[in-house]
Amino acid sequence: MDAIIQVKDLSKSFGPNVVLSDIDIEINRQEVVVVVGPSGSGKSTFLRCLNLLEMPERGEITIDGRPLLDKHTRIEEIRAEVGMVFQHFNLFPHMSVIDNIMLSPMKVRKRSPEQARKKGMELLGKVGLTDKAEAYPSSLSGGQAQRVAIARALAMEPKIMLFDEPTSALDPEMIGEVLAVMKDLAREGMTMVVVTHEMGFAREVGNRIVFMEQGRILEISSPEQLFDHPKHERTKEFLSKIL
Amino acid sequence: MADFRFDIIWDYFPLFMRGTLYTIGISVSGIILGSILGLLIGFGNMSSRWYLRLPMRGYIHFFRGTPLLLQILIVHYGVVYNVLGTTDAIVAAIVALALNAAAYTAEIYRAGIQSIDRGQSEAAKSLGMTHFQMMRYIIVPQAVKRMIPAFGNEFIVLIKDSSLVAVIAAPELMYWSRAASSQYGKIWEPYLTAAVIYLFLTYSLNKLLIYLERKM
Ligand SMILES: Nc1ncnc2c1ncn2[C@@H]1O[C@H](COP(=O)(O)OP(=O)(O)OP(=O)(O)O)[C@@H](O)[C@H]1O
Ligand SMILES: [Mg+2]
Repeated sequence: MDAIIQVKDLSKSFGPNVVLSDIDIEINRQEVVVVVGPSGSGKSTFLRCLNLLEMPERGEITIDGRPLLDKHTRIEEIRAEVGMVFQHFNLFPHMSVIDNIMLSPMKVRKRSPEQARKKGMELLGKVGLTDKAEAYPSSLSGGQAQRVAIARALAMEPKIMLFDEPTSALDPEMIGEVLAVMKDLAREGMTMVVVTHEMGFAREVGNRIVFMEQGRILEISSPEQLFDHPKHERTKEFLSKIL
Repeated sequence: MADFRFDIIWDYFPLFMRGTLYTIGISVSGIILGSILGLLIGFGNMSSRWYLRLPMRGYIHFFRGTPLLLQILIVHYGVVYNVLGTTDAIVAAIVALALNAAAYTAEIYRAGIQSIDRGQSEAAKSLGMTHFQMMRYIIVPQAVKRMIPAFGNEFIVLIKDSSLVAVIAAPELMYWSRAASSQYGKIWEPYLTAAVIYLFLTYSLNKLLIYLERKM
């Protein structure tokens, strides 16, 4: 198995506040890694370091063999390979759904409008929203918006997908439809790093679970191991609160 | 008020009209040139590079922190005279108003752009867009809509402030009102006329803005 993401000694502070310290992890191609942990433990910051939405202070990150922090690396090229889905969708409100999806393939990947539209419609089909192509984001439900956001990220044909609490802002009845899309994606072999509180998803889809606390990785285990026989006292405590 | 002399207004009517056209011309040129210059200054002011940011910040502080009248006098007698070798009140008026408006519009651009949710720029970046692409396709189109009311206000302020260029004898509305006033030794006739015309200009502009805002 070759690692597509390699993180070594990653550290990050905001002012005096140490948010990540000495994070080490390798993530393999086609692996689904679920990151869990209490609020403020640095899960989002870790994820955002992987596409440099946050600048790490120390450490090394290699994505598909390319060192992220090397000054010769064009950060836009890396980001084009790493899709990200946000808690609050962050669709572009001034554009229709299909334009949201087509924009980056056209501008960043230099696809023709025809190619971009064809691919965009294909992806909308995949997330079950073909009929919403011309709709504007404000008219979508949360679940629909998040599925569009996933389609938009996939339109760049990324090698890795990052999800930061993709269902946390959704009404309970819409969580399932988004998780279903994510499960499909995992089944197709997408490499995924998912921050979520959906333990059912973690158990079913995750290959490994990372438990973070206070900016450190306390435990990396298989779902069975972590949920049924957690090594750490803190992991047990956290799980007993959340399950 | 019994001796209110409509004949004075009638006498000066063509000059009031010409003056009004100059007021409109000077204000429109001022806001257009000011907005373009303000764009450069505003983006410079938001730059992460200190050698762009600091001069732009200084510019904004200077033009917002000193009286417009002073700026008009300096531009007229100092700058324009030295560049053209002769005085030209209309050029000086437009330049001074544009330089002043640039400082205010620079702040409008900044406020508009900073009002866009951070999630928008993060989404754009995560899709591989460059800073320029993100601005061009995501941030600016959304920010422009929010800037319209502030631009409208700045334009209204500029129309009223353009009356200050009467002191350098730019032949706009205020200039002719003062001329009529001193020729006839009368206050109410010329100044009320000017007031009505200014009100008409700012009021219709305000209406237009409300209409535009509703349409967007
Ligand atoms: N831009 C920032 N500036 C300053 N502090 C920040 C910033 N972003 C995050 N932090 C701090 O870093 C710490 C970790 O934040 P992070 O968002 O990574 O945690 P999290 O595990 O994702 O939490 P949650 O489950 O609430 O989303 C928190 O203490 C937070 O206040
Ligand atoms: Mg978070």
